Amino acid sequence: MNNRLKVLRAERNWSQADLAAALGVSRQTVNALETGRYDPSLPLAFRIARVFDQPIESIFSDEGASA
Amino acid sequence: MTSRSEPATQSLAVKLLGGLALAAVGALTGFGLVNIIDVEKGAPWADSLALAMAVALLSIAVLSAVTLFLRPSAIPKGCGILQVFVFLLAGLMFLAPIYGPAWFGPDLVFGGIVITLVIQSIANLMLWRAADEMLRQVMAETSAIAFWALQTALFLYAAAERLGLVSTISGWGLTGILMAVYLVASIVASARRGIH
Repeated sequence: MNNRLKVLRAERNWSQADLAAALGVSRQTVNALETGRYDPSLPLAFRIARVFDQPIESIFSDEGASA
Repeated sequence: MTSRSEPATQSLAVKLLGGLALAAVGALTGFGLVNIIDVEKGAPWADSLALAMAVALLSIAVLSAVTLFLRPSAIPKGCGILQVFVFLLAGLMFLAPIYGPAWFGPDLVFGGIVITLVIQSIANLMLWRAADEMLRQVMAETSAIAFWALQTALFLYAAAERLGLVSTISGWGLTGILMAVYLVASIVASARRGIH
């Protein structure tokens, strides 16, 4: 699963800790999401979409990701 | 946006304190391991392994406390103190059967271990509930890896023992092996998510 979390976060000038606080997760979780080491659950994906005020499909994509 | 983040750049004093704390942990770990190898030379291997596990668990407790102090956002909210507490109690429970009888009777030591185990189990449950979804995933993967490795090894050992090819290992020895495998599984599961 690919995502644009790092880009979206950078556009808002937020640190990983800022985003982690907004999502209610640890900074390590945000780092793992950004580096593709962890795919979020559906509830967390919805929270991410709400925080960035964008639809889920504009943040996450499965292009090039293995099944 | 509300933030519970630590300052982007830690002050030099805090960095130095953190470095000193880590150096102290390293020194204590080294000292503990040397003691196990040297002072406990005549001890059964199961006791030596249990002592090594105790030193490892207590070192992880100190490292968790340092991380909680220096980078609180690295740990899910509410989990830091619980992690320190859980590792601390686990370390003490490995020490109690070895050194406890020097001060108290076996019944009293065992009673203390049972009470400590109940408290640690409650703390573990609280840790699971306070964790975010990735930490829960790491905990679940750790358990799965450890279970797979241990049940495979146990079957092979049990078969070899039944065939008279190996000598019997005590329950205390098996517990030390279990904890060692669990810690390795924990490192593997954490590393897969980029947690150091």
